[in-house]
Amino acid sequence: MATNTVLRLSGTFSQPLSCLFRHQWKVTVVPVQRTFSKKTNGTGPQKTSSALVPYRNQSTDVAPAPEKKPYSPFQGPFSSKAEYALTRLDDLLNWGRKSSMWPMTFGLACCAVEMMHFAGPRYDMDRFGVVFRASPRQSDVLIVAGTLTNKMAPALRKIYDQMPEPRWVISMGSCANGGGYYHYSYAVVRGCDRVVPVDIYVPGCPPTAEALLYGVLQLQKKVKRMNTLQMWYRK
Amino acid sequence: MSLFQKIGNIGKIFRQNGGLVGSYLKLFRTDDLKWGTLVGEDKYGNKYFQNDYYFMGRNRWVEYPLSVGHDYDASQVPPEWHRWLQYIADEPPSQLPLPKRKWMADHTENLSGTERCYVPYSTTRPKVEAWVPPKNNL
Repeated sequence: MATNTVLRLSGTFSQPLSCLFRHQWKVTVVPVQRTFSKKTNGTGPQKTSSALVPYRNQSTDVAPAPEKKPYSPFQGPFSSKAEYALTRLDDLLNWGRKSSMWPMTFGLACCAVEMMHFAGPRYDMDRFGVVFRASPRQSDVLIVAGTLTNKMAPALRKIYDQMPEPRWVISMGSCANGGGYYHYSYAVVRGCDRVVPVDIYVPGCPPTAEALLYGVLQLQKKVKRMNTLQMWYRK
Repeated sequence: MSLFQKIGNIGKIFRQNGGLVGSYLKLFRTDDLKWGTLVGEDKYGNKYFQNDYYFMGRNRWVEYPLSVGHDYDASQVPPEWHRWLQYIADEPPSQLPLPKRKWMADHTENLSGTERCYVPYSTTRPKVEAWVPPKNNL
């Protein structure tokens, strides 16, 4: 395209940037300014080369603020005021739950080493409020890290049963997800979801600490969508 | 680094993040306040920054657009910027555009948990058939 070549020749704008430039054109700029800036976009924005300038017309008009996504996933319509209030209480509850999730240490194999890295200073799970507890009665999340053998399965189930509600399970690594390398072994449970219900599956053999971190963040997103009080009210 | 430079950095942080209120909102959303030069922007609205004042591992970062709110996610970074952000290359794609092949699919974020999430299915017949209990047995 013509604009694209001009921008490419000028050497200051990139391919993805010009994609953005074309993409946002219709949305952000009113037609009067459109003709104005079409004439000048070869020369004008070059001098002050910054990303936002080309379609902001060099601060002559204020770019509309981007649409903001609200914090809460529950956005009406509400049938009554009570439901609205309970929705906001749900948000508060979910915020509390997701920002202090205490996992139970259940390291079974080499995945546990990556789980320890997640606890270390580089990945630093503490900044998400994730703190290891050694007791199942004080923990919210069970991280099944490693191969679940037949011999260990009753212990895992017992520990899961001892955890208070609400409780979540992260299955970490191929072995816990579906048996993995030991899928055809007679001594191994083919996936810990045969024993406990699993919320998040983290793939990898072993998954990196970063992958586990991402899994925890996905679990936080899932917790954010919980509607405990709303369901209680509807019943 | 003298004390005056550090105080100057605080000033830069507040100026870049939009004053006291803007800095507060940014801190609430991202748990971090930094200052740096804008390296580029992608079509999703992510802004990429660099400042070598911070040590490696923290000197490149991304700011997600307000349209994703608090639900920002590392999978919202497209692969060409991921290359720069994770130190696979030093040149950002704004300086060195990667070749665009026609078989390359467009980037999508991780859709797990949304209504467009991936649902696995099987096309093979199940090997195990469930036992159907006979009715009217009693």
